[in-house]
Amino acid sequence: MKINMPITNNEVVMKSNTILVTRTDLKGVITFANDAFVDISGYSREELIGSSHNIVRHPEMPAAAFEDMWRTLKQNRPWQGMVKNRTKSGDFYWVNANAMPLFENNAVKGYLSVRLTPSRAEIDAANQLYRKINAKEATLHPTGLAAARKFLSEISLGKKLAIACTLLMLPNILLLRELLSSESYLLIGALGVSTLIAFWIMAHVTQSTRNFFVSAVHELFRLSVNEFSPPLNLTRNDQFGDLFRGIYVAGVKLGDDIAQAKQANSNSLRIIQGLKYAECSILITNANSEIIFVNQAAEQLFLRAEKDIQTAIPSFSVQKLLGSPIDIFHNVPALQKEALDKLQDSKTSQFDLAGHTMQLTVKPVFEVNRERIGYVAEWLDRTTEVKIEGEIEHLVRAIKQGDLGKRINLNDKNGFMKSLSTNINELTDVIENVFNDINHIIAKLAEGDLTNSIHSDYQGIYAQCKDNMNDAIVKISEFIIQIREAADFVNTSSQEMASGNNNLSNRVEQQAASLEETAASMQELSSTVVSNAENTKTATVVVKSAAEVAEKGGEVVKSAIAAMQAINESSNRIAEIIGVIDEIAFQTNLLALNASVEAARAGEQGRGFSVVATEVRNLAQRSATAAKQSNELIQNSVQEVRSGTAFVNETGAALMEIVDSIIHVGTIVGHITSASNEQSAGISQVNQAVSQMDDITQQNAALAEQAAAGSMAMSEQAAKMTHLLNFFKINGKSPAAFSAKAKLATSKPAANVQSAANSKVAVNASFDEWEEF
Amino acid sequence: MKVDAVNSKQVEQFLTFELASEVYGVEILKVQEIRGWEPVRVIPNTPSFIKGVLNLRGSVIPIVDLRERFSLEHTEYTPKTVVIVLCIKHRRNESFVMGIVADAVSDVLDIKIDEIKRAPNFGTQLDTRYMRGMHVYKQNMIMLLDVDKLLNPDEVDDIEAISDIGSFE
Repeated sequence: MKINMPITNNEVVMKSNTILVTRTDLKGVITFANDAFVDISGYSREELIGSSHNIVRHPEMPAAAFEDMWRTLKQNRPWQGMVKNRTKSGDFYWVNANAMPLFENNAVKGYLSVRLTPSRAEIDAANQLYRKINAKEATLHPTGLAAARKFLSEISLGKKLAIACTLLMLPNILLLRELLSSESYLLIGALGVSTLIAFWIMAHVTQSTRNFFVSAVHELFRLSVNEFSPPLNLTRNDQFGDLFRGIYVAGVKLGDDIAQAKQANSNSLRIIQGLKYAECSILITNANSEIIFVNQAAEQLFLRAEKDIQTAIPSFSVQKLLGSPIDIFHNVPALQKEALDKLQDSKTSQFDLAGHTMQLTVKPVFEVNRERIGYVAEWLDRTTEVKIEGEIEHLVRAIKQGDLGKRINLNDKNGFMKSLSTNINELTDVIENVFNDINHIIAKLAEGDLTNSIHSDYQGIYAQCKDNMNDAIVKISEFIIQIREAADFVNTSSQEMASGNNNLSNRVEQQAASLEETAASMQELSSTVVSNAENTKTATVVVKSAAEVAEKGGEVVKSAIAAMQAINESSNRIAEIIGVIDEIAFQTNLLALNASVEAARAGEQGRGFSVVATEVRNLAQRSATAAKQSNELIQNSVQEVRSGTAFVNETGAALMEIVDSIIHVGTIVGHITSASNEQSAGISQVNQAVSQMDDITQQNAALAEQAAAGSMAMSEQAAKMTHLLNFFKINGKSPAAFSAKAKLATSKPAANVQSAANSKVAVNASFDEWEEF
Repeated sequence: MKVDAVNSKQVEQFLTFELASEVYGVEILKVQEIRGWEPVRVIPNTPSFIKGVLNLRGSVIPIVDLRERFSLEHTEYTPKTVVIVLCIKHRRNESFVMGIVADAVSDVLDIKIDEIKRAPNFGTQLDTRYMRGMHVYKQNMIMLLDVDKLLNPDEVDDIEAISDIGSFE
């Protein structure tokens, strides 16, 4: 017999309404233990399952009790009794034990133990009994008289009836004997019949009662293997009927309970399956904080972190997680027993577990009566998120401080985090490119290089910034080009002005000399004007006589025109007469032709007449020809007269014009006379003006020299400015090339100046003009 | 003109006239009269070469403009323009009087019949039936017309109808 030691005097009291259930196989090895049993035994489920049931035996339990139990069970009878059990730690607890065989296909497959909470009185009685048994002062079953009484009282029903019948028959047998002796045979017969009937009833009742109990027992055993709705006769009116009905009600109720239990079971199975494949990682513990459920997500979470956790907790293993106490993560404060016991509602905490940032939400689970039956722990490995949060924060801080070279490493990321990181990296790329481009452009701008522009493709404000930047550079370039052009223009212009001013200075000196000559010439001019006035008087007389002669010519022309008119009229008249002659000739010809026709028709007789007609026709044609010639002559003469008239008219008009012209010449000669007088007055004014001009010319010479000096200074300034502007490098235009172009551009407007300043021929020509002046 | 030495059977007299500077001739025996141009009475809805009708001493005769008949260039009429009144025969061998407008009359010629050249044949497509022949006179080619065929028979009928109407008046 197994003696489990040590033992203590601590009693663990079973809570009321608790049922401890175990199942064993035929050898007494535990195949099932419910939570309450595992809980109170102090062993883990793994330790209990597969162990012999005597693992919980308390050494103070009398061996006779167990012998009795096994003997009873082997008879396929249930056993009931008080049992004292030992916990793993050596404490003890009392139970009201009920053991019974489990049937399957009418054969015993194992045993079921159901332990109820005993009352204190029962515990005390049992305690006393077992102490006596252990001290050999009492036995478990009654002995001696008590045993005989028990034997008698439990004799089977048939035997008891047989005894009763026999006892009842004794007086009858004695009476029969008296009657035989008195030879009253009628009475003997009656007595015999009644006795036989009584026997028969007795036997029948006994038989039916026995059958009834057999079937009742059979049905009750069927209930124990979950076969409900017993086929019983429920319509009996006697007490048997009542019993059948009771069994039937109990059986149906039991069936209902089991159906409900199955329903509840499948409900919880569904929930468990759901939990099993849920996305979040869930651990569930029982009231003893032992892990009884790990879903797939949790398994994978811990598998991922297993290696790391093992460095901190070497005993950790995902395989052993199920059944381990929850405080296997012994450095997690939220999972310490004290913390869990105090927990009333869900609580979320975040902690570092061997380098993994875990978010843990623990929630106690309560029964309906607020009894704590376990905990649900939801785990979340936030390591990656936290790491990425850190990386993003680091990157953003770097960007804030202007360090755009940093990027998030994409190799250890996937899914959402990878796409988020990629997007952030791309954002940083864009910002970096924009600033690099702008920086490059502005740096080049600072060096005066305007040949660069931003070519990258951007969108939105970046694209605006890029466009504005490029526009600004183009604008500045254009501006500088214009300034350069202006500067070059000023340069060339000022040089030309300088040379022009020098020339001017020289000319002004020459002008002064020329003015002296002019003054002398004026004196000569004055005497010439006086002789002019004399000559004009003679001219006036000649003009007057010429006018008279011309007027006489005009009269002659008028009479010639009148004569021509008369000739013209006569000619027209002659032409009309000739037209008449021609008409007559035509008609004569027609008549002659008609005569010819008639003559032809007359044939031979008309031949002479035909000759005459022909002669007439010839005459008519001749006169027509003569008329035609005369007409032509007359027309010619009319034409000649007409052109003669025109000539005479023209002559008349010409003579009139000559007269007018001569009169006009007369007036002009008069004007010349008065003009000569005015000229002599004007010439003296000119002399005065020439002397003033001489003074002004002297001043001009001085101003021209100053202007030449100013132009030279301006030219120097423009050259400096051009040199400064060469600092800027402009797209497609080297400063030298540009300068040449600027000169070309300015050469046209300066052509006039240049021709005077640079061309020797032009200078000579201008000198000639000067001398003439 | 000398006609005495010539056999009358071998000589025929032709009245020549000008049309668009070319000389044409008609047998003098077909000529009834030669008249200066005078305005004619216009007959509406007739072919354009019919200028109208003329009252010739009581009888109404149709006037045909040969320029238009021969599709020559049209000119204004001048004082030299003449109307040659012809008496032609048509298919029923009946005589019929009409006038043709010519630019001017030229002459009366005696032409030997064997000196009349046959008119050139231009094929059936071209209507040259009105040509009797050609005669060369002083380097000029005179086209001699067969006045009976000057108009198509249908045209003659139409024109005759016009003159008939005139006759009734």
